[in-house]
Amino acid sequence: MDINISKLRKDLARIVGEDYVSTDRPTSVVYAKDTMPWDVEEKNMPYAVVRPSNSSEISRLLKYANEKLIPVHIHGSGTSLVGLARPKTKGIVMDTARMKGIKVYPERGYFEVGPGMHVAQVKKELAKYNALLPVFPGSELVATIGGAIAVNTSAHGVDAALGKPGDFILGFEVVLPTGEILQTGTESTRRPAGIDPTKYFIGSEGLLGVLTKIRMRLIPMPYFEQVVAYYKRTEDILSTVIDMYKNGIYPPLFFEFLDERAAKIGFEAVGLQEPQGAVSMMRLHSWSKEGSRQRAKEFLEFLKDNNPIETKIVGNEEEWGKIWQSRAEAGNYMYRLGMTFGSEISPRVDKLIEAFHDAQSIVKNLDSYKNAEFISFGHIGAPTIHAYAFIPTKDVANEVKKAITLEMREKTEDLNIKYGGCGGEWGLTAQRVSFLKKKYGESLYELLVTMKKAFDPNDILNRGNLQGWM
Amino acid sequence: MDVNHNSEVGDFLLKEIVKCRACRFCVDVCPTYQVTEWSESMSPYGRLQIIKYMLNGILDEDDPLIYSLYSCLQCGRCDRVCKAKGQDLNISDLIRQGKNYLSHGLLKGRRNEKV
Repeated sequence: MDINISKLRKDLARIVGEDYVSTDRPTSVVYAKDTMPWDVEEKNMPYAVVRPSNSSEISRLLKYANEKLIPVHIHGSGTSLVGLARPKTKGIVMDTARMKGIKVYPERGYFEVGPGMHVAQVKKELAKYNALLPVFPGSELVATIGGAIAVNTSAHGVDAALGKPGDFILGFEVVLPTGEILQTGTESTRRPAGIDPTKYFIGSEGLLGVLTKIRMRLIPMPYFEQVVAYYKRTEDILSTVIDMYKNGIYPPLFFEFLDERAAKIGFEAVGLQEPQGAVSMMRLHSWSKEGSRQRAKEFLEFLKDNNPIETKIVGNEEEWGKIWQSRAEAGNYMYRLGMTFGSEISPRVDKLIEAFHDAQSIVKNLDSYKNAEFISFGHIGAPTIHAYAFIPTKDVANEVKKAITLEMREKTEDLNIKYGGCGGEWGLTAQRVSFLKKKYGESLYELLVTMKKAFDPNDILNRGNLQGWM
Repeated sequence: MDVNHNSEVGDFLLKEIVKCRACRFCVDVCPTYQVTEWSESMSPYGRLQIIKYMLNGILDEDDPLIYSLYSCLQCGRCDRVCKAKGQDLNISDLIRQGKNYLSHGLLKGRRNEKV
């Protein structure tokens, strides 16, 4: 495509203002790069980056892009772990960073927020109203609420305990790829029954429209109690999760685990004594203080069925802070020590142990890199196992990084298919179209393509994410 | 001897910057990112990427690049975030070194001689 950059810049400046258009190559590189470990290529680098401030500007941008047939890639904070944030084709990157407004309406039971506000900022505002935001990514300091809703991820939260964020969405203002501005849903706390177009956009990964205002129900902040359990073997934690679902025990909102190796790394990172094996940490919630205490006591008793070395309720906030932080720091410190290639494995609950052993085998027998180390942690109550291939060096060629990423992706996707899962935290397009086809078949994939075409006839928004880019 | 320009510095910078995970935790705390109303090329993460891609020849010198590197205030907020949440890189020092190293070309009278 022949693009006159100077003219493009002038046209875009007329829509969003001169200060909010960049067409220089340094800015293009910065917005093209994401968490994927290999370098940006020319095809990823946008012609322009724009930072619109409202839905009207976005509408005009998209109408312009349709007229000129230039793809538009939506940018939140670029924290996706599966390539959603890297532009796949040359085009315009549209950064939502300036759309940060929030209004809380306690008398209406909801709040409205712009897509560019960071998750942690939203939580800070909601805390003033004693309300909970059901989105818990490790990247919450920088991840945007727009990105989280566009992927419909509860991230670290256990879906069976509270639900996904989409379960609390009352409506959107959304700009269609062709530029029309729609209002969906309701201002009542009663969600629509039957057909509700709001649902089309929840988890649509920016393929069907741009979320410009998100209306979400206020959830009263629950009380929490904290529990930690130490085990010799990770398998005992997996058995606990299997028993939890089998016995109809209501899951904790957070139920994390560190395998034997990850626990050592995480505990050392936060200055705690090295544990003897694997560790799991849980936060149990209830809407009364007594209720949460009672749940924690009962859960502690239940945990004893699966051979823990020690279990305890942690009341000391400082101690809990370190234990909880060890989970986050494990991933971080692994990366400081070398390179990591991750996956998300969400098997049928009763197949957790088999899936875990298969994941170990995949990492230990990689074709693309010999002698990678298996390290795992994750949101095991969900269940999600993040199985990682760890290699103890940063000195790896781009081609090898790509090959390991691809092999880990393909083989853990097969594991999800074998054991009935599909992931549930990181999103399903961008890197994972091949998985969609393998798991659900060509007919379902074609349905998605037809749906995309109905919303976006010129394939303007996030082009490449539904084409199986990698 | 030109003490400001030797390939060891370039190699060191590339070796350090490759540790950056692009987590972008440092972006939001940067005063210049905030004052430019959230342009990522005016953030610590952005500056590291610019240095990296300039060192590996993808980027050439041009005005926005220079503006980005020279606008770093060296306040060190990014260093603290990276130590706590990221890869413990001395980001502000890498930017300072990168700016000095890459300025060599400007001083030799290339396109941006005015700087």
